[in-house]
Amino acid sequence: MTDPGGKFRFKPLFIDGIHVAYGKAGVLSDVSMEILPGRITCLLGANGAGKSTLIRAVLGLTPPRQGSIAFDGMDITGAPTHAIVGKGIACIPEGRRIFPKMSAQENLLMGAFQERSKELIRARLEKVYGLFPRLAERRAQLAGTMSGGEQAMVSIGRGLMSAPKLLIIDEPSLGLSPALVNENFRIIRRICEEGTAVFLVEQNVRQTLAIAHYGYVLSQGRVVAGGLPAELKENEQVRKAYFG
Amino acid sequence: MDLLLQYCLNGLMLGMMYALVAVGFTLFFGVLDVIVFSHGDTVMIGSFAGLATYWWLHSTYPGLPAGWAVLLVLLAAAATVALLGIIVADAMIVPLRKGPALNTLLATMMLGTVLRESIRLFFPDGSNPQTFPALLPGWSWRGGNLILRFDNLVLFCGGALIIFLVHMIINRTRLGMAIRAVAQDEEAARIMGVNFRFVVLATFALGSAVAAFAGVMNGMYYSEINFSVGLLLGAIGFSAAVIGGLGNIYGAILGGFIFAFLQTIGAVAIPFASAYKDVFAFGAVILIMAWRPTGLIAEPSSQRV
Ligand SMILES: Nc1ncnc2c1ncn2[C@@H]1O[C@H](COP(=O)(O)OP(=O)(O)OP(=O)(O)O)[C@@H](O)[C@H]1O
Ligand SMILES: [Mg+2]
Repeated sequence: MTDPGGKFRFKPLFIDGIHVAYGKAGVLSDVSMEILPGRITCLLGANGAGKSTLIRAVLGLTPPRQGSIAFDGMDITGAPTHAIVGKGIACIPEGRRIFPKMSAQENLLMGAFQERSKELIRARLEKVYGLFPRLAERRAQLAGTMSGGEQAMVSIGRGLMSAPKLLIIDEPSLGLSPALVNENFRIIRRICEEGTAVFLVEQNVRQTLAIAHYGYVLSQGRVVAGGLPAELKENEQVRKAYFG
Repeated sequence: MDLLLQYCLNGLMLGMMYALVAVGFTLFFGVLDVIVFSHGDTVMIGSFAGLATYWWLHSTYPGLPAGWAVLLVLLAAAATVALLGIIVADAMIVPLRKGPALNTLLATMMLGTVLRESIRLFFPDGSNPQTFPALLPGWSWRGGNLILRFDNLVLFCGGALIIFLVHMIINRTRLGMAIRAVAQDEEAARIMGVNFRFVVLATFALGSAVAAFAGVMNGMYYSEINFSVGLLLGAIGFSAAVIGGLGNIYGAILGGFIFAFLQTIGAVAIPFASAYKDVFAFGAVILIMAWRPTGLIAEPSSQRV
């Protein structure tokens, strides 16, 4: 994809026919997707469908047995995670995974681990604090002692600190109050508008389809549907699973 | 009174040595969740590498000033042992993580034997104790029956400096931040872009280099080394790390001094049989473990690094 305007800063993430297994237990079979720049792409699917496993495969934590993954025009299949991250992919992982014995600010700094420029890091830190003023007040507090909502802010802020080309978000709303969930969706939309592509796994199907540009549905390790949000709402599988 | 003070001085010296060994155990456990049983023998290799360096320096540059000699011996010992640590981590410990943790335990125990036997068989006259040179001038300060040796003072300050450096590396550098991140959540650290393999190897280099200092310190303190010194030092360092709460660096340092303190008490309290001081100290460690199973300053969730 050429992009003369400069808003779309990378070639898409291509997932091409990957098979992923933990030991002998196959989880994903023949999964193919395209995650395009400038868009929010969402991934729906029941518990255990393999959504987080797909993310692990993209990040190189559980490399695929077959198939290939390419990002920004480069093959990243089987590359070590830090190299994949270095290409411009960041992740807000399932379950937040903050560093409990580090302060909120150190957690944020970990998000920019590969960034060497002190100025850039400081600017991004200020931006995250602008987004979450609460974190600015509590920057010295150990993240492990923060409330669940505050920890979610740390995790989201940490994901933004590398200013990634593609941000992968795995269930950021889990355990948050409706107000915070709404706030999350607002932030995700804003991240996308600022030029970061978003790959979003969410359980709030209505809200997710409301902000997404494109979506896939995963069921028992296979892609069973892919399309525009309006199409997915009409999709038989999605309706059965989510809209009763 | 002087005698008591003398015991305390010696105890501080030993405590520093044990703390340096314990820091390695606790660092390795922090990043990889493994107990590296061969770490005591790594200390021993450090002693012998220092001795070999001294021999070489002595024959090649006979007039070398004492300060330079000590520095070069330390650097050479640290470099040798750091390299050994890197190789052991990369070739053995990281690959073994795919299997049960007991395999690592067993493999590092066997590695310890290999290291000991290698020195015994291949170091010149390695099966006999070797005289370790007094690298520093034999000045000492005397007050009554109290003797304060100059070289001990230097070694103690050097040890304190090393502990301070480790503290700075862990808390103030990018590598240290990565080490702490890996210790707290390995996978999250990877997702943040930390090169896991590099961090593990750097940690092993660091912990081993610190052990090398303890090895040279041990040689200079006792003026003698042998191929099996690592057995006791390893057991002591491991105990110290456990008393302090495995994974906690400051706990390990505290544990080292506590162990030396226990040995000193053992020696003072049973003067007619100070040979039992280790029995007393290890017995006390067992009691401490029964009283505080997760270590003296461990937090409920078992603090890491
Ligand atoms: N480390 C693992 N070892 C073995 N099996 C695993 C592992 N992680 C996940 N699985 C299995 O893989 C399947 C897919 O899990 P995954 O976490 O990808 O689902 P998910 O779609 O993210 O579900 P959820 O919505 O509950 O987060 C599940 O059956 C799960 O039990
Ligand atoms: Mg999941």
